[in-house]
Amino acid sequence: MPTLDALTPIFRQVFDDDSIVLTRETSANDIDAWDSLSHMNLVVSLEVHYKIKFALGELQKLKNVGDLADLVDKKLARK
Amino acid sequence: MLIENGQYNIGDICTSRQCRLGRGDRVAMRWLTPDMERRDYTFNELDGLSGRFANVLASLGVGAGEVFFTYLPKQPEQFVAFLGALKLTAVTGTLFSNFGEEALLDRLVDARACGIITKKSLLRKITRIRPQLPHLRFIILVDSDDHQADGIFSYNRLMAEAGSSFDPPLTPADTPSVLHYTSGSTGKPKGVLHRHGAVTMIHSTAQQVLGLREDDVYWCTADQGWVTGTSYGIIGPWSMGVTQVHFGGGYSAEQWFEILERENVSVWYTAPTALRMLMREEPLLYARFDLGMLRHVCSVGEPLNPAVIHWARRVLGKEVYDTWFQTETGAIMIANRPGILVKPGSMGKPVEGIEAAVISAEGGVLNSGEQGDLCLKPGWPSMFTTYLNQAGAYASKFKNGYYCTGDVAYRDTDGYFWFVGRSDDVINTAGHLISPFEIESALIELPDVAEAGVIGVPDELLYEKVVAFVSLHGEAAMTDELQLKIRLHLANKLSSVATPHEIHRLERIPKNKSGKIMRRYLKATYLGQDAGDISTMEE
Repeated sequence: MPTLDALTPIFRQVFDDDSIVLTRETSANDIDAWDSLSHMNLVVSLEVHYKIKFALGELQKLKNVGDLADLVDKKLARK
Repeated sequence: MLIENGQYNIGDICTSRQCRLGRGDRVAMRWLTPDMERRDYTFNELDGLSGRFANVLASLGVGAGEVFFTYLPKQPEQFVAFLGALKLTAVTGTLFSNFGEEALLDRLVDARACGIITKKSLLRKITRIRPQLPHLRFIILVDSDDHQADGIFSYNRLMAEAGSSFDPPLTPADTPSVLHYTSGSTGKPKGVLHRHGAVTMIHSTAQQVLGLREDDVYWCTADQGWVTGTSYGIIGPWSMGVTQVHFGGGYSAEQWFEILERENVSVWYTAPTALRMLMREEPLLYARFDLGMLRHVCSVGEPLNPAVIHWARRVLGKEVYDTWFQTETGAIMIANRPGILVKPGSMGKPVEGIEAAVISAEGGVLNSGEQGDLCLKPGWPSMFTTYLNQAGAYASKFKNGYYCTGDVAYRDTDGYFWFVGRSDDVINTAGHLISPFEIESALIELPDVAEAGVIGVPDELLYEKVVAFVSLHGEAAMTDELQLKIRLHLANKLSSVATPHEIHRLERIPKNKSGKIMRRYLKATYLGQDAGDISTMEE
């Protein structure tokens, strides 16, 4: 499954919103519940789901879901 | 004169009155989308829209004194609905849009809410608890074009069908107005009820403490789910006819400075956590922006550390005035402010008409330098009128002729007050008051969690952070998966602000012989301090 599609159920669970439909351009401005605290829950969810770890610097550079999906792919390729 | 012919109606004063004063074409709200697109609403428009919304609620059968809630992120409909409901003299509650279903349930049940305005992405949380809300007759969706079944209505359709003219009834000062819920260290959140007469105190403190002038452009970053967001993000400035900026996005240093510069903001009201986050940004960022129009900054929510004041003076060339109030006080009570010497780290001095005192456990007024309970002489116009359905809890806040704030403080010889801490276990994280009891209750709903104890510990950025201790059933292990399950459970049931920053496993949660969780012991142990007398601890 492409990573973007695989991220959708994780986002829906973290933000408790079944109506979330992700595109590469989706950002925190498009999801009501996406604040700095729920962002941490998203990060932990991704780390647990994919068994990867993010560095703080990597996360600060992300502008949208597309960047996030690319970063996850990069980390999975290194495993 | 703010009050004319005995009309205290907040909705009327913030909109129709401004039009009667000839300010109808003035921009009341400069709305900025998260993408920084601008949409101006004049006082004429705000008056028409809020009048239309009052007619909508009337058409849905909402009567004076019934409780109506907004449950929206910051967006224009939030302000329209709030003011419209007040025009109708419905009691108007605002709910933080990150509340989960349990936080919603507690508040909607207690208030016997008759209606709520929200958006599609939040509807699911209400739908899940709706069977437990027999009094909830309708839900209005701001982003649905059509009415749905089960009393779910389209805001756009209702507004299109309603007239814009609405004459608020003559509203005496004691008429119930705004309802906010506040957390305590025990029990469910309490509904703090205010009255329309509060507008006089909010208005005067907006002038005297925030230093607002009629031609200002003012920006308050607080969410409307909290008292600062309604008292000083709606009522105070609009009662003066001041233009307000409201921004639909979250924290972004670059965007925030762009707003301050581009919109010529002259007074900015924000929170210490936000200022501390700005302090961590690259200094080059500030140099790119011209904040020449900004007269000063005010701060509220948590104690403001002196380092922030010194940073703002040095880097921004601005003074930051710390202000103190509570949901219960409705308006600023103690503050540093223009015209008095700022003592960095202090709460400032009581505002005009407020008598504050530091009281001992025995009820006596303490001398300068002595630490005790911060109390206020009751009777100020914005004082809460009750805790909804909890008259006993309300009465318990008043002792020896004073309202007891629950904060511990001392007064210096110059009459400045200095915050020391809370006298209860309520956690203040980034300006949000969190009840440890609510988090503990939600934690033990999880099948793996046997017991839980929750505390707030000092944090450089947030003032306090939430730390949870849990004991687990049987063979359950504290895995990454369980940590995640706990985090999401709390975020979705309560709110993202209730999510612990740390979760620790203990074999058992320390309790006293009556079974009460010893949070004091947990905190001392966490901080490596002496726990004091633990003779009452369960063996």
